[in-house]
Amino acid sequence: MTRRDSLYRRLLTWLLLPLMALGALMVLQAWIEARHTADRAFDRLLEAATLAIAEQVQWQDDRLWLDLPPAALEMLATDAEERVFYALYDARGRFVTGNADLPGLPRDDDATGGQLHFRDLVWHGLELRQGIRRASLEDWRSRERFEVRVAHTREGRERLTGELLRANLAYILGMAGLAAAVVVLAIRGALTPLSRLRHAIRARDPRTLAPLELPLPRELAELRETLNELLARMRRVKANQERFIGDASHQLRTPLAGLSTRAELALRQDDPQRWREALEAMQTTSTRASHLAVQLLSLTRLDNPEYRPELTALALDDLARGAVRRHWSACHRAGIDLGLEAPDAPVIVAGLDWQLEEALANLIDNARRYGASRITVRVIAHPPALEVEDDGPGIAEDQRLLMLRPFHRGSDDPDGSGLGLAIVDGIARSHGARLRLDAGRDGHGLRVGLHFPEESA
Amino acid sequence: MRHHRWLILTWLWLCIGSWLCLAPLAGADERLRYPAEPADDEASGELVVHGALDLVYARPLFEAFHARHPGIALTYRNLDTLTLHRRFLAHPDEVDVLMSSAMPWQYRLANDGHARPLTSPQAMAWPAWARWRHELFAFTFEPIVMVVRRELIERFGRPDSHAELLTLLEQHPEALRGRVVTYDPEASGAGYGYAIQESRLTPRYWDLVTAFGDTDTALATTTGEMLDGLDSGRYWLGYNLLGSYARAVADANPALEIVVPDDYALVTQRLALMPRQAPHPENARRFMDFLLGEAGQRVIAEDTPLGAVHPTLAGPGTAAALRETHGEALRPVSLGPGLLATLDDLKRQALLTRWKREFTRAEAASP
Repeated sequence: MTRRDSLYRRLLTWLLLPLMALGALMVLQAWIEARHTADRAFDRLLEAATLAIAEQVQWQDDRLWLDLPPAALEMLATDAEERVFYALYDARGRFVTGNADLPGLPRDDDATGGQLHFRDLVWHGLELRQGIRRASLEDWRSRERFEVRVAHTREGRERLTGELLRANLAYILGMAGLAAAVVVLAIRGALTPLSRLRHAIRARDPRTLAPLELPLPRELAELRETLNELLARMRRVKANQERFIGDASHQLRTPLAGLSTRAELALRQDDPQRWREALEAMQTTSTRASHLAVQLLSLTRLDNPEYRPELTALALDDLARGAVRRHWSACHRAGIDLGLEAPDAPVIVAGLDWQLEEALANLIDNARRYGASRITVRVIAHPPALEVEDDGPGIAEDQRLLMLRPFHRGSDDPDGSGLGLAIVDGIARSHGARLRLDAGRDGHGLRVGLHFPEESA
Repeated sequence: MRHHRWLILTWLWLCIGSWLCLAPLAGADERLRYPAEPADDEASGELVVHGALDLVYARPLFEAFHARHPGIALTYRNLDTLTLHRRFLAHPDEVDVLMSSAMPWQYRLANDGHARPLTSPQAMAWPAWARWRHELFAFTFEPIVMVVRRELIERFGRPDSHAELLTLLEQHPEALRGRVVTYDPEASGAGYGYAIQESRLTPRYWDLVTAFGDTDTALATTTGEMLDGLDSGRYWLGYNLLGSYARAVADANPALEIVVPDDYALVTQRLALMPRQAPHPENARRFMDFLLGEAGQRVIAEDTPLGAVHPTLAGPGTAAALRETHGEALRPVSLGPGLLATLDDLKRQALLTRWKREFTRAEAASP
């Protein structure tokens, strides 16, 4: 589990990143809101100041006249000591009085009285907020229109914005912290069963194959069941192996015990003729025992799932002909009719010649041993197959699969090892071929076939 | 003298009027110069200060600064407030520190962004009521007072407040005819400033103006002119004199007595600012720190009658001492945008019209 590909980090990233983006959005919104609120609060000052000034505008000496109330200017400066500007303009936009020539709004046609406008303004390098009031004289002599423009710098607004934002920021940061903590805790909590599973697996005795028993959430329970199925398969394989080893040692012990007894008996005699007989008998037994050992070895090798022999193309009909030639004389002596059925064209499959020869030898040997009088070795072209058929007693249908197990014997033949069919089965598997046990063509006897996959040719 | 007065009247007719024309003889070339001397102090270069502060008061201040930073070549020009203002607007990059008693004009310069903010420890510690935005600093504390002659006190008693003064004027208009003197608000910027402040403080100010009119009060354009008349015995009572200037004359003449009214007394303050385009900003900052520091303020308290503002200073010649004796009555002109209203042309015309109407009310009523 590398750091880069941790589930915990993945979850944390994908939950916290959107959370942070959301937080940033909230801060931005809080800032806009705070600025808006501060502007609204301070715009009331501009409104009040323009009103206080507008109320003092009169018609005097045939002109607009203003008795400027100092309080109107004082109210524009808060504790933040803003710079303050004011000006009065007549209906034609001419400057009447003021401390600054403030720009007005772009003229619209029917600027009616009592209108109030606020706007942000950069004027001579100063950032200002301007309030403009359009009004007209309430005088029976004149209804002259005029415009009061006031402006102040933004220090007070910025201070209030900052205060509002700080209050909001504390709230947002608190919420974000809480959310992050909850996310972290939630992820930890959700991933706890995973580490429990890991601990349970790590803490197991390496030799035990017992199923895992621990309560897990649904997603992990599926993983636990899969693991348990694998363990069960391994248990079965292990049991098979143990039985095989037990059987094998039992099989080897019998001829070895026979050898030892024979030798002991011979040693009590003085007659060399007896010795010779004993030695001959011992030779037969040891040959059988070594044959058994060879068979066991090859079976062990074939049972190894890692075993992948290098297959080469070979002709099945040549192989069958060679086997019939080798076994013909032995069969002939035993009065058994060994024959071959093969197509004219060669049948090519991918295989290992010595293994297939061994398989054929085993099958012919088996048939001979179980009382067949007629054995036919057959090669079929499509799909490629190799068959050995006999007219012996055959095997009942429900016994056929059992025959493939090592050391299982159809009868009490003292010479048979019970490994023949198991070895053939192993060879078939290493060739990717299928082993089939059927009754003979006329319903009697046994037909054993190795059916090769078509594409292996 | 008459020529100068005519000249100044012409100036004032042309414009709003100077705030304090206390030094009518002060020519444009009145100046102090302290050439640079070799010093182990790192300070060097030049410093140009323009102020409306008579040399007699400015000298101790600049001598003390020169003793502290002898490496700085110092030039001080004493100008009247109007010249000071105009010269600055014409050449804003010529001067390092601007000191003036014309509070509205100094305020307007700062409001328009001509001042450079000062954030030295001295400036940060300066009391909030005596500064604006760390750009404009009030460094003196000068009450506006009445000066009364012994003859008046012996006959009618000493008027200690505006109310008593009003009663006195209303009860003895004949005896006091021509014996009272005050500022002409039309001709004097300072007089106009006091009038606008007083009219905001109390509506009874207009009764006082009417009473002044009833007694044919003489109108003067400077504190010096009023002090001359009081010193010579021509006037018995002077109203709205600058306390700092009256102190010297009153100390020299036992017949004169200074009265700080105990109902309210205006306090005017000189304002200093560093222009944004100051040619020697580093030395300007040094001078401001000196002016606002304890050393400079001690010079103001001990060697001038201007009144020191520094909060740690107490004793004679300080704002603290004055507050102790007249605490409730003192009304320093607040440093705020209200000062801008003082400069409004129409406002000025409106106030002066009212003032003249109130002053001549008696004549109009009894033809």
